[in-house]
Amino acid sequence: MAVPGASLVPILLLGLGIRLAAAHSPAGVECILFNEEYMTCTWGSGQTLTANYSLYYWYENRSPVAECKQYLWERGVRTGCRFEQSEIIQFQPFHVRVNASQDGRILEIPSNRMELQNLVKPEAPVNLTIRNMSSNQLQLTWSSPYPKAHCLEHVVKYKSNKDTSWMEVKGDIFSFPSVDYEKFYTFYVRSKINNYCGSTQLWSEWSVPVFWGSNTTSKGMAEEQLQWFWIHTVLIPIASCLLLLVLVVLLVRMERVWVIIMPRIPNPNKNFDDLFITHNGDFQEWVGVPKDVVESFKPNYSESICHVSELPYEPLQDSIHPPGVPGPQEHGPYKNSYVGA
Amino acid sequence: MSHAFFRSIFRVLPLLLVLSPVNSSSCTMGNKTTEIRVKYENILSHDIEELVNISAEYRDRCCKNKRHEHNKVFFCNDTQEIESLQSMACNMLKFFNKQKINKEFRRKAALVSCGTLQVLQCKCGRHKKEKVCMQVNAPNNEDTETVEQLKKKCNQEFCELKENISSLRSCWNKFEKIISR
Repeated sequence: MAVPGASLVPILLLGLGIRLAAAHSPAGVECILFNEEYMTCTWGSGQTLTANYSLYYWYENRSPVAECKQYLWERGVRTGCRFEQSEIIQFQPFHVRVNASQDGRILEIPSNRMELQNLVKPEAPVNLTIRNMSSNQLQLTWSSPYPKAHCLEHVVKYKSNKDTSWMEVKGDIFSFPSVDYEKFYTFYVRSKINNYCGSTQLWSEWSVPVFWGSNTTSKGMAEEQLQWFWIHTVLIPIASCLLLLVLVVLLVRMERVWVIIMPRIPNPNKNFDDLFITHNGDFQEWVGVPKDVVESFKPNYSESICHVSELPYEPLQDSIHPPGVPGPQEHGPYKNSYVGA
Repeated sequence: MSHAFFRSIFRVLPLLLVLSPVNSSSCTMGNKTTEIRVKYENILSHDIEELVNISAEYRDRCCKNKRHEHNKVFFCNDTQEIESLQSMACNMLKFFNKQKINKEFRRKAALVSCGTLQVLQCKCGRHKKEKVCMQVNAPNNEDTETVEQLKKKCNQEFCELKENISSLRSCWNKFEKIISR
C-alpha cells in the first residue's frame, strides 16, 4: 500500500519545484563591477521574489566555495550580494550559485562562468573643461575616476540650441573645428573599457554636462523665448479676432457678397403685378386667352324653366276601387314634387 | 683520488642539465612594455579580435560538456603574464596541422600565435614550433568552406583551440592593464 504514496512523492516534489520556479524565480544572476571598486550580483527585485535566497561563489582553481558576506535587501527579501574590492579577482573564471529555499525545499539556480574584467562599468567622466583654441575651434577635455585611463574609450555627445538631434563622436580628446558664436552648445561624455583591456558592453553613465555659449546668448535666448511666448499667446489670437471681425463687417455691408451667403426667399409678387394693376384681376385677359375661345364657353341657346310637381295624396272610398288595386293616388304616402327642366 | 673527483663532477653535470627548468623564459622583450603596448594595440589586438569573432560564430554546444579547466596552459599567472602568453601561443601552434579543424581558422589562429611570439620576442623551447610561422604567412589559395558548413563541425580539438584563443585574449587584456598603469 506504500506504492501509491511513493508515487505521489516525486509528483509533490515536482510540483514544489515548479512552484518555486514559477513563483517569480530569478531570470539569472547579473554581476557588475563598478569602477573596479566594488561589485554587485543581483538576481531580481523585491517585488517579484518571495523565497529565501543565498549566494555562494568561487574562483576556478583558486578558492573554496564561500558565501556572500553582504547581502542586498529589498522589501525584506535578499535580492543581491555586494562584493568588496578585496573579494574581487579579475582574469580568473568566477562562478556564482544562488540557492532559493522555501517551505524547507531548496532550488539551486546556477549561473554561467564569468570573467569579471568583462563586467567592469567605469564611473562617469568628471571635470569637463572647454577651451577656446585659435580660429573658432573648441577643445573639450575631461578626466576619469577610473585608475587606468589607457584602458578607456570615450564618446562625446553634443548639441546646439538650434539642433534637433545629438551628435556622438569617439575620442580621447574632443575638438570642435568651427563653432558658431550665435549658438549655445551642450556637451556630455561617457566611457567604457576598451578592447585592449577587456571585452565589455557596459558604458558608464553620462557625465554632468558642460555648456558653451556667451552669457548674452543665453540671456538673449530667454528674452527671445519670452517674446515668442507673447507672440504666440497674446498677439496672434488678438490679431486673428480683429481680422475675423473686419471680415464679418465687410460681409454684412457688401450686399453682393451677403446675398450669395444668405440668398433671399423668392417672392413671386412682382410677377402678378400686371394681373392686379393692369388687368383688374381678369385672369383670362392677363393670361391672354383668345376671345373666340372665351365666347365658345358661353351658351348660345336659352331654355324656359319647366316646373314639375306631384299632386297631394288623398285616399278614396272602397266602393270605387277594388281592394288590392291601388289608385293613381296610392303610390305611397309620400308627397313628391320636383321641378323639371 | 683525482678520477673520483672527476667522476663526481660528471655525475653532477648531467644532473644539473636534467634538473634545469625546461620552461625557462626565452622571451627577450622583457621590460620594453611601451614597445609591446604599441605593437599590441596597433596590430595584434585587431587580429585577436577578428579571431575571437570568428571563433564565436562556431557552435559552442558540443564544447560545453568538456572544459579543460585544469589545463595549466590556459592560466595567466600573476606576475608571469609574458610567460603565460608565450605558453599559450606555443600551445596554439600545435593546432596548425590538425586536419579536423578548418584550414583558414587554423591559419588565423597560428597568425595570432606567431604575432604574440614576435611582439614578445619569444621562442617555443626545444620543439621549435615557431617554424610553423614561416608557413603561416604563405597565402591560402584553396577554397574555403562556407560559414554554415563550418558551424556544423565540432570536435574536441576545435573546442580546445577555442578555449586557448579565449585564454590568450584574456591574458593579453590582463597584461595590457598591468602595463597601462
